[in-house]
Amino acid sequence: MNYAAQEALQQTYDAVVVGSGATGGWAAKQLAEAGLKVALLEAGRAVTPKEFTEHMPSYKLKYRDHSPEVVRTRPIQKQCYACMEYNYEWFVNDLENPYSTPPGKPFTWQRLRVLGGRSLVWGRQSYRLSDNDFKAATRDGYGDDWPISYADLAPYYDIVERYVGISGAAEGNEMLPDGQFLPPMKMSCGEVLLRERVKAKFGHTVTIGRAAVLTQNHNGRAACHYCGPCERGCSTFSYFSSPFTTVKDALSSGNCTLITNAVVSHVNMEDAENKARGVTYVDRATRQVKEVRGKAVILCAQALESTRILLNSATREYPNGLANSSGTLGRYLMDHVVGAGASGRLPEFKALPNANEPRRPNGIYIPRFRNTPSSSKHSRFLRGYGFQGGAGAEFNFSAEGYGATLKNAVKEGVHGISLGAFGESLARRDNYCEIDRDLKDAWGIPALRISMTHGDNEAALMEDAGATAAEMLEAAGAKDIRVQAKVEMPGMAIHELGTARMGSDPKKSVLNAFNQAHDVKNVFVMDGASFVSSACQNPTLTMMAVTVRACAHLIDSFRRSEI
Amino acid sequence: MKRRELIRAGVLMGAAAALRPPRTMAQSAAQSSELTPAQSGVDASKDLAAPGWKPLFLDEHQNETLIVLSDLMIPATDTPGAKEALVNRYIDLVLAAETPETQRAFLNSLGYLDGESMRRSKAAFRYVSREEQDDLLHGLAYPRTGSGWAGDTNAVPDPGHAHFEALKRRIMTAYYSSQIGERELGWDGAFAHGNYEGCEHPEGKHK
Repeated sequence: MNYAAQEALQQTYDAVVVGSGATGGWAAKQLAEAGLKVALLEAGRAVTPKEFTEHMPSYKLKYRDHSPEVVRTRPIQKQCYACMEYNYEWFVNDLENPYSTPPGKPFTWQRLRVLGGRSLVWGRQSYRLSDNDFKAATRDGYGDDWPISYADLAPYYDIVERYVGISGAAEGNEMLPDGQFLPPMKMSCGEVLLRERVKAKFGHTVTIGRAAVLTQNHNGRAACHYCGPCERGCSTFSYFSSPFTTVKDALSSGNCTLITNAVVSHVNMEDAENKARGVTYVDRATRQVKEVRGKAVILCAQALESTRILLNSATREYPNGLANSSGTLGRYLMDHVVGAGASGRLPEFKALPNANEPRRPNGIYIPRFRNTPSSSKHSRFLRGYGFQGGAGAEFNFSAEGYGATLKNAVKEGVHGISLGAFGESLARRDNYCEIDRDLKDAWGIPALRISMTHGDNEAALMEDAGATAAEMLEAAGAKDIRVQAKVEMPGMAIHELGTARMGSDPKKSVLNAFNQAHDVKNVFVMDGASFVSSACQNPTLTMMAVTVRACAHLIDSFRRSEI
Repeated sequence: MKRRELIRAGVLMGAAAALRPPRTMAQSAAQSSELTPAQSGVDASKDLAAPGWKPLFLDEHQNETLIVLSDLMIPATDTPGAKEALVNRYIDLVLAAETPETQRAFLNSLGYLDGESMRRSKAAFRYVSREEQDDLLHGLAYPRTGSGWAGDTNAVPDPGHAHFEALKRRIMTAYYSSQIGERELGWDGAFAHGNYEGCEHPEGKHK
């Protein structure tokens, strides 16, 4: 244990923040900059730019990024495209971090334990939700509204976007509110063609992806240099990741103590006062058990992990998990449904792929067009889906034949185009996680049993998405269109949400509108666990905005001495 | 101990540490394995060209067959081919670390070539003439889609084509991931090539 960590344990902090990813970084920054004394706990090690590998060619790797060895320790993590021979140590070792699933209900849980968590490797797509999402239950009768509206969150979206730097184009779309954008990245010719023809034929919007990647120097970070593989780290910090932004700010405020290798097991309670006293963690390296005290406990460990901590914090008062008098803790697990889309080639364009072109770390986006205020109600499903995709010249590695013909065909390339859907995952009580009494992780902490399936609505969304993707590609003039309309296993979108939902009724929700536990006023969950519905937009931007809003409320509570 | 063996030892120690609780002595090993070789800056690009190279997994006949096949699959033209790129060595390395099922599947596919060659020419694939090798591969390279006569359907699996595709996939991966393969695609070795400018055509005039 280092000196800072020893100091850390001797005092009572104003706030103990668990997790240093997208939301934990923001919580630490906001609270520390407001003058609160913060302990930031991260289960993994620190990370330095020296270990970034985005400029290392794959031929320098022993297995050239096809390492069968990665699969040995990370058979589940490897299901994520971003877990590769370059960076697999950032991902959890599956042997050390087990979880279980019921027979016939696979769930893939992809996560990192390192400073910054998944913000190091995330997809960077950043979209606002609208009142069509926050008030969806009022509009179509399914589920529950969020206890907050778009107007409540909009100022915090502004704060987050201005700081993070989101490149994107304003479209005035009713389902996808515009934000504080840096200049948009450019579209390829094929993408512009798709945009024009899809607008003309269907009226749908095709826009450039809104990405947490800088298109100009911003807040001390450099504009993107278009090398491509963001998930291996960025030596110019051009995509947003917490260690080099929010966490750095928190630490330089002088009010935040970072404790790495702190695997939090549970929240400690002062039962007589019905207040949390802090958290207990296991030092990952020494396995010593330690306690950190704080006036407020803020869980930002990732939806399932934060919920696991609360479930493992059961007391006599809360036998089914801390702050779970409602019985909803662990319930309403969601993950965007994926598995549908279409791909083809655009014969109107000369392919001529070029290995020396800038590589844009971003694609195109088609906001939801089903069940919108201006479209009729769909007969077969609720809610909708959005598409991500792209078009451009690629080397044709699936060329037929062999010999010199094959060699030439690869270089001649193909102008490909593809779209893949992300669909809303309906909040269902019977999608849940609980503690598996027979399974512990390498630190002796009881592990999760995750039980989730996508339902009929998700299957109907994917079926429709396959068909509409094909129609749009056809409209763009694509040939050899291949359609896919399956439902991938839950977890594949890596957008786990719910399990400690917000709500105005303490009998039906875990958290209030400020991410504060109804049952225990100084316990907060500020990550994706708080989501009431999933919408279909990538959730990280909303998670960060919700965190900043909750922190503003918490800072006020401290000033009024309510905590 | 050679560097390659050191790395392998490091990986094994990491795996062992994962399976039992790390103790104080094991701690430094566990900590040092928390960077991937790439993140530690290890350059393995010259390993396969080492003098005295011996296959880890393939036997001599299999290795020689793979060299002949890879040379047919991606020959030297005005640019180097699969043989110069030592794709057999890379494939051997990967196979040595693969599961027994994957290893068996690869040897089945390679063995299929010999079987077909024996059937046609009474000799193993690597020993028959270039023309015979080419004839054999040509017959496997394109899927048989049925003649359209009654009883003949597209759904009939074509094992020869499947074996061909499996071998081709491995050879292509090995070739295009090598430094020679990167050059074949025209890569200049730089990572930054300016801003992404996208489409600059006026509306309706995209090329």
